[in-house]
Amino acid sequence: MSYDKIIEGKPGDIKFFLGNEAIVRGAIESGIDIYTYYPGTPSSEVGESFMDIYKEVRMKWVESSINEKVAIEVAGAAYARGATAMVGMKNVGLNVASDPLFALATTRPKNKNSALVILVADDPQQHSSAVEMDSRNYLKLFKIPALEPSNPQECLEFTKEAFKISRKLKLPVILRTVTMVSHARSNVIIGELKQSKIEEDFDLSKEVNVALRIYFLDMKENHIYNRMKHALEISENSTLNRVENEDAINEFKLGIITSGVSYSYVLEALDFLELNTPLLKIGMINPLPVKKITNFLKRCDQIFVVEENDAFLETQVLAIAQMNRLKVRIHGKDPFSYSKENSLLPFVGELNPTLVSLALIKITNLKPKVDLNQIIKRKYNIMERKPILCAGCPHRTTGYALQKAVKKIKLNSERNVYFYQDIGCYTLLAFPPFSFANVKYCMGSSIALAQGVAQTSESLNIAIIGDGTFFHSGIPALLNGIYNKTPILVLILDNGWIGMTGQQPHPGSDTRYYKEGNLKKAIDLEEFLRGTGVNVTVIKHNENKDEEYTSQLRNLIYEKGCDVLENKSLHVILIKDECIQKTVKRQPIIIRYVDPELCNNCGICYSQFLCPAIDERDNSAFIDSNSCLGCGICEEICPNNAINKEED
Amino acid sequence: MTVEVYTIVITGLGGQGLIRLLQILGQALVTQGYKVITSETHGLSQRGGKVKCFLRFGNKLNAPIPLIGTADMIIALEESSIIDVLNYAKPDKSTKFIISTYEKHNINVEYPSLDYLLNILYENSDNIYFIPAMEIAFKHTKSQKAMNIVILGYILKFLPLNQSIIEGSIKKNFSGEALEMNLNAFNEAFNL
Repeated sequence: MSYDKIIEGKPGDIKFFLGNEAIVRGAIESGIDIYTYYPGTPSSEVGESFMDIYKEVRMKWVESSINEKVAIEVAGAAYARGATAMVGMKNVGLNVASDPLFALATTRPKNKNSALVILVADDPQQHSSAVEMDSRNYLKLFKIPALEPSNPQECLEFTKEAFKISRKLKLPVILRTVTMVSHARSNVIIGELKQSKIEEDFDLSKEVNVALRIYFLDMKENHIYNRMKHALEISENSTLNRVENEDAINEFKLGIITSGVSYSYVLEALDFLELNTPLLKIGMINPLPVKKITNFLKRCDQIFVVEENDAFLETQVLAIAQMNRLKVRIHGKDPFSYSKENSLLPFVGELNPTLVSLALIKITNLKPKVDLNQIIKRKYNIMERKPILCAGCPHRTTGYALQKAVKKIKLNSERNVYFYQDIGCYTLLAFPPFSFANVKYCMGSSIALAQGVAQTSESLNIAIIGDGTFFHSGIPALLNGIYNKTPILVLILDNGWIGMTGQQPHPGSDTRYYKEGNLKKAIDLEEFLRGTGVNVTVIKHNENKDEEYTSQLRNLIYEKGCDVLENKSLHVILIKDECIQKTVKRQPIIIRYVDPELCNNCGICYSQFLCPAIDERDNSAFIDSNSCLGCGICEEICPNNAINKEED
Repeated sequence: MTVEVYTIVITGLGGQGLIRLLQILGQALVTQGYKVITSETHGLSQRGGKVKCFLRFGNKLNAPIPLIGTADMIIALEESSIIDVLNYAKPDKSTKFIISTYEKHNINVEYPSLDYLLNILYENSDNIYFIPAMEIAFKHTKSQKAMNIVILGYILKFLPLNQSIIEGSIKKNFSGEALEMNLNAFNEAFNL
């Protein structure tokens, strides 16, 4: 939700924007025609904001695509045909989009207006990610220009700059952010909105758009020796890459090279240590301004390269120093040693001003006014709190039923049971009391992972995947399993939305009540699955009121699990139970209450089912009426009928 | 009023409205003419887990994360959450601690004892303020969700911020009956 409306205001007005909102503003100040994306923290707000405003600013199209590969293909062809296009994803999304991007990077649209910006949001420290991955390493593979803003104001400006560079060079340009930039909120001075210059006539000549041997090698020559050479000229001459504190003098003859959010940490650390150094701020991180860097190295005896995660800048700075036979000492991560001791900054996790200050203290032996090590030494007993599923989350109900079913299967079959997890809120079922996780990699991998163990052992292997992730990249793995008759049990937890990133729609979502309205045709997942010929059973919460839902679900999982073992068949159970965060916005919440007279404090509701709205109070279960979202499962599973809809 | 830099650390649990608090306060400070930067944590980490946010303002733009040992104010919307961010308190014990007395217990995890908590708090600050934020929120809005607005009302006395500006910022976030109830909670806390 935007606090300050993105399209309101006149040039020069100050807004209080998230980095992500500033990117949207920058794009509509560049006359954007189309935005495609797959949601992923910390990039999701960009797509949601575009969805809110695209009609008002008369953009041609905005879509939340089925996955990043499709998103970049839709945007890529629009770019080829002369659109000002943008595509957004989180860092690991670029892995999915990398196949088309490799060809796309080399094609050379013939239309004047063509421009393509690829937003890639990294998440150092894995605030909301399954892996920590530095997407900048792709820049050497794709050989395309990339800009990295360090705050929300730069998010707006660099987005505009990225469109300009792409339009000029006919190369896609990556706009790379990190969580602390995308999710920083700050003063942003806005500029003028611009109308699109897209034309109905366009040129789609095959020589410059078709990845095929007879065309590709020519395009590649042009890509590297012509367009990237121009990109290098821009990098050398642009103020995106600039020396700050040019006249700063310090006794160590130390200079600093940095980019992105690390730049703000450097400023903070220099202030703290009352240290003055010249500073080369890199805004265009590919291709690097070799001459500018050389000149900067020449004036210093020591250089400190400050960047998060991988030594992307540092390895290139080392190469540039070697090329010029410079004796300058380069401090950083000592990237070729794989040695934690030699590294002044970590390869793993986010940076912050404290880490940068500590590294500078090691280089300079300065004594700061606050003894940081003294503070770090102090340890406190911190209370552990794992993230938990929302009160009323359907995944908790599934976890509870699955736990009961698996216990029975193990008892009866004496076989081991293993669980393959995917990317979604249900990943939290990996934690106690459920602990359903043995192997997990990335989006859409659970179904294939289950096959790998099923084909090589006699165990029962259960894949747990959400509907959004199934559409994203789970389908090929399921078809692979069906074709190979692999005996696995697949649970598709269909909550109707891409829950984890903020309940965005996917191709199975019923968007009637939401901003997409009737513009979409929801794909019926049940019909889709039946079409594959697979054994599929569908269970819907609240459909059959005669029997308790949790028992129905437990019995179904038990029955199909046994069948997988006995008959070596593949079963899919489609569990349809909508995300509570969506239903509470449409339906009244029927809060449950505990009757302390009937409750014998068995703890099933708060310690086995683990609903966060239920706690123990005065030897009885107690439901916090502010937290309860009215799913009603506790009423069902209470063995003493102590939980009801009415307060006594 | 000129402020070089003022750093607030806000901690609590996902769902307590920390981001809303950041936005209302940040917007008011921007309207007052300051350069403001906040950092938010979104996504899965917010659900019931610990949340740690920063708000920094002054005459120049600062980094979204401060150095340890440099915070001017630490706010905890849930009592035990403050332990996680004690290293941001200044060694001279001048950092203000604003603590909601609300405790969120988790099944099977021991909650820190009051003795331990008070001990480490007074080791780190001479300016500790305990606020019955849950009670005030509940009294005016029948919900504990307004704890963030109560805290906002309380901290106003320490900040170079015009009351009408912050009320304007609250008005952007609520309407109708909810607005009136939240403003009442805000005002009671302001007059504490």
